[in-house]
Amino acid sequence: MPELVLGIETSCDETGVGLVRGTTLFADAVASSVAEHVRFGGVVPEVAARAHLEALVPTLRRALGEAGVRRSDIDAIAVTAGPGLAGALLVGTSAAKAYALALDRPLYAVNHLAGHVAVDTVEHGLLPTPLVALLVSGGHTSLLLVDDVAHTIRTLGATVDDAAGEAFDKVARLLGLPYPGGPVIDRIAADGDPAAIAFPRGMTGPRDAPYDFSFSGLKTAVARWVEACEAAGRPVPVADVAASFQEAVADVLTAKAIRACREHGVGDLLVGGGVAANSRLRTLAEQRCAAAGLRLRVPRPRLCTDNGAMIAALGARVVAAGVTPSALDFATDPGLPVERVSL
Amino acid sequence: MTLLLPEAVDTRALGTRIGAAAVRGDLVLLTGPLGAGKTVLAQGIGAGLGIERGIVSPTFVLARVHREGRIPFVHVDAYRLGGRAELDDLDLDSDLAESVTVVEWGAGLAERLGAEHLQVALRREPGSDVRTATLTASGPGWAARLPTLSR
Repeated sequence: MPELVLGIETSCDETGVGLVRGTTLFADAVASSVAEHVRFGGVVPEVAARAHLEALVPTLRRALGEAGVRRSDIDAIAVTAGPGLAGALLVGTSAAKAYALALDRPLYAVNHLAGHVAVDTVEHGLLPTPLVALLVSGGHTSLLLVDDVAHTIRTLGATVDDAAGEAFDKVARLLGLPYPGGPVIDRIAADGDPAAIAFPRGMTGPRDAPYDFSFSGLKTAVARWVEACEAAGRPVPVADVAASFQEAVADVLTAKAIRACREHGVGDLLVGGGVAANSRLRTLAEQRCAAAGLRLRVPRPRLCTDNGAMIAALGARVVAAGVTPSALDFATDPGLPVERVSL
Repeated sequence: MTLLLPEAVDTRALGTRIGAAAVRGDLVLLTGPLGAGKTVLAQGIGAGLGIERGIVSPTFVLARVHREGRIPFVHVDAYRLGGRAELDDLDLDSDLAESVTVVEWGAGLAERLGAEHLQVALRREPGSDVRTATLTASGPGWAARLPTLSR
């Protein structure tokens, strides 16, 4: 029987504890401090770190309760070592080290981004290889070529300025909508016309890097459009702006992901990260994958946002691949590149 | 000193001149609304320090340190910082004397990170992509270098 892996995730504002055996999810307990960040319009590191500190032990107890297991049933521990907020990462890794020492179990310090890929194993089974993964969240926008999620991942491209989720947050701010911007823009866009305004598609020129992204110019274009509207004394058609902005983001993300699959001869695309919960991105990815003859994997929204299950799922792959456990004195790395799946 | 920046390349070029003129311990504050060109200017400053790639928005993580150039480049987004205590929590002081520190949304908060600073106020003209940059030196170090930044 495969090992029961405990996964601990504290890279941003969600305290996540998951339990996975092989590709079976036994528990996925998450405590979010997002409500505490709303007044700032984003995550504040020290607020997040303090919230993790308060939430970690109760969240772990909840995960054990959900799975109906005891601490002594845990065979291995996986924890996010980066990328993420420095103070937040420290809380999770300190806890993981303490549990590993106290329970005398091997510890695996793993990569948050690889976790967003590996989490799909608990929903759709083992990953095909190779696989192209499009990871989109508040802090990251990357296209990855995944040969083996346990140890071989290559970055094909990434954002050169703002992350996709950050663009949602900033456009929401421009439109006077609350933080976080993703869910509220998705909801309001449902009543708007995605073709109402032709917002620019960044980094899609013939000389642009084919797999890199840019969302800063799009944000500026939205700001300009809204300004012009206000200057003319017209009410801002918020739903149309939201829908047209969202269309521009989803269009570029899916077009580049499909191009990456085609040019690398890869038949499977995975979309993960918090922005993968966006309804338009999911729909457009489905349509374009179907048209291109690609198989699409998107975890359910709950698994796309940060959680402990993704780290437990990645830990299960790393353990199964026979990777050497991490030394107890490993250091967190807020800028950990995805190429380093485990430390 | 106010400069006209017709296109994004001009904003980047101003940044490159600032980066090329920068010395250890320098503090630069960038102000201006969303879409004013703060990140492009910061990428230019990076280029002036010899960092050609990888300067992306620090919004999500609040502060990024780039060490590939001739001087370490600390890039901060202070938008979400509520006050001095939260700025202190970023623990920036440790690097500042050895680095060039660029703080977006830092006016009114980050001045005390250095004895003097250069403030760059970016503004986008309504209905166009033309930006203006108003450069203000708060001390003799930047005042002496200000003329070299105009062209």
